[in-house]
Amino acid sequence: MEIIIEEISHGHKLLSRQKFASNTITIGRGYDNDIIVSDPHVCPEHLQLQFNGEHWLVSDQGSVNGSFLEGSKENVIQHKVNSGDIISIGKSQVRFVFPSHPVAESIAISPFESLINLARHPLVLALSMTLFAFIGGWIINLNNANEVSLTQILVPTIGLTLGFALWPAGIALVSHLTKHDARFWTQMGISFIFFNLMWLSDIFENVVHFNTSSNFSLIWLLSIIPLVLAFGLFWLNCYVGFHMTLRRRNVVASCLIFLLFGGSYIIQMSKQPDFNPRPQFDTTIMSPAFIFAPSSNVETFVNDATKLFEKATKSAKAESKD
Amino acid sequence: MKSIFALLLMCFSTLSFAVEQAEEIFKQLAPSLYQIRLIDKASGEKSSIGSGFQISSDGLIATNYHVISGFARHPHKYTIEYLDNKGNKAALTLKSVDVINDLAIVQREVPSEMPFFEIAQQPPTKGEELYSLGNPHDLGMIVVPGTYNGLKNESFNDRIHFTGSVNSGMSGGPVVNKATQVVGINVATSGNQIGFLVPHDKLLALYQQYQESPPTSIEQQMAAQLMQNQEKLITTIMNSDWQLKQLGRGLIPTIDVPFVRCWGESNSDKADAQIMAAVANCDLDENTYISADFFTGSLEMEYRYMESDKIGSTKFYHIFERQLNQVAPGNLAGKDDVTEYQCHHDLVMPQTSNINNKAVFCTRAYKDFPELYDVLYIAISIDHEQYALLSHFTIAGVAQETSLAFLAKFMESVSWK
Repeated sequence: MEIIIEEISHGHKLLSRQKFASNTITIGRGYDNDIIVSDPHVCPEHLQLQFNGEHWLVSDQGSVNGSFLEGSKENVIQHKVNSGDIISIGKSQVRFVFPSHPVAESIAISPFESLINLARHPLVLALSMTLFAFIGGWIINLNNANEVSLTQILVPTIGLTLGFALWPAGIALVSHLTKHDARFWTQMGISFIFFNLMWLSDIFENVVHFNTSSNFSLIWLLSIIPLVLAFGLFWLNCYVGFHMTLRRRNVVASCLIFLLFGGSYIIQMSKQPDFNPRPQFDTTIMSPAFIFAPSSNVETFVNDATKLFEKATKSAKAESKD
Repeated sequence: MKSIFALLLMCFSTLSFAVEQAEEIFKQLAPSLYQIRLIDKASGEKSSIGSGFQISSDGLIATNYHVISGFARHPHKYTIEYLDNKGNKAALTLKSVDVINDLAIVQREVPSEMPFFEIAQQPPTKGEELYSLGNPHDLGMIVVPGTYNGLKNESFNDRIHFTGSVNSGMSGGPVVNKATQVVGINVATSGNQIGFLVPHDKLLALYQQYQESPPTSIEQQMAAQLMQNQEKLITTIMNSDWQLKQLGRGLIPTIDVPFVRCWGESNSDKADAQIMAAVANCDLDENTYISADFFTGSLEMEYRYMESDKIGSTKFYHIFERQLNQVAPGNLAGKDDVTEYQCHHDLVMPQTSNINNKAVFCTRAYKDFPELYDVLYIAISIDHEQYALLSHFTIAGVAQETSLAFLAKFMESVSWK
């Protein structure tokens, strides 16, 4: 009867898969074996399988380190092989499967996958990276009060772009090291699309801050946007770089969000002084082109200011009670 | 040796005359002069010193409020004591203060009636010779001759301009005329023989008020005085002439009263500057001392005009925005004195003018003086691509109503030409 033997590395990675039609199969480090294992902890003649007409029987050939069925500590001698058995030899493993072994249901290639691959398209990738560099350079120019020449902007812009490219590169490296497909360019494409979305959300936030008064109570909704974007980025990074279940991917992305935003929140809180003598207010001002909201009149503004006195008086009373 | 000394004295006979007179005055008045010390209870050492003088036979002593402010603010932390010309020390009790005019009345126990300083009925005449008494830098009581130069012009609450060295430690000491009547109290100096005195009538008023109805609580008395003073100040300013002056393409209000002074600066000499900027600011040239890090009663207005045809509109406003982050209160008050600021911001276009602003108003409350606040307003015009006007004011220690009236008038006064 035919048997399929899979060689599995120390790190549980599938190294090879072979199908045999003969009745005797030998496994070991020696070159005369049917399956040659390069693990130094495996003996030249380590394991032998034999078909007795009805069953496959597996036996250790008196090896130095022995052969053990998964979950057992007894050396394998004339063990009747069941489909799916895993036997440890040295620091490696072999798995025996019969042709009748059931396989998982086939997964259809989702349109989502092809959408993700679009991010890797050279044109899309070049476009999103250029856009990122362009916005980055523009912001560097804005923050510089003095006149800046093109080269003065170019160097930090390239630095910024390379710096941000470290993130997808790092993910690709990790997936490569964990024996997954690196998919470097896909990671790059996806990450830069999201970096651009984050720039845009930043600009959007500024426009909203600029146009609304402090009476607008839904302003906190804006702070959700970067959270959602970051979650999307991490989720896709996991999707592209690693084979994991949907549930696990959600958990990993959520944990990263929690670490990143929670961490920076804690750092901010720890820097908060006990008493801040400076007034804190929204300082966003932009060019007149970004005004969409109508202006209030003086009376409304004075009325709104009246409420501040009540608040201040209340907190003075509360604090002097302490 | 004695003869040489006498010779020297004869050479400077005019000087020696003044010195003799000063000596005479000093001898006469010395028993009623005191060094006032604030003793920190925990360490038992003096934490601040000043001078004081007796104004009644039953032991009332006048000094500056700022000399005993530590006790007025934290009565559990300090005690007040005096040191007289014979080196005797004893405790004093705080009776009444005038925080606006920086005066305080303390009392010592007296076994029998004592000599005291008489307060003048008339202000001195300009150029009149006066003698300032006090204990500068804990060096011992001295007398400093000087001249009366009228009331300080730029002062909302009257101060005498005295030409003579008033040094720290002399605060609270009396300034007398040749008839040894008190015409002022040492209060401040701007160095180089320029000293400032509180006029005698302020002390007289405080003394008479104390005799009629002594205050029940110093804190309440201070709160009432601060409230009254801000009312008087803001009302005067609101009723004064608000002159519109041109700054760049904007019109800004300045207040035409002597105690609000304006200054200006611009970078128009720098041809290569990216942004042309002009700044004008006006402020009240005095404030009220409450404690070492808590001043109030100040008023400040600032205008900043920026224009640029060299940079884009987005960058122009971005640079302007960064200036907003530097806003800080003009008052060092801390957690014990005030709450944190509460702010409101909005886009505002006054109906009467043609300027569209992003405006911010902030306020914080005083913890010990109810219904008094610090307020801050800052607005930036956002209706032109290449030029903008920032208008700003802060007032310390105002009531809600007066500050809002000021706010409305200020907002409506700023406009484009």
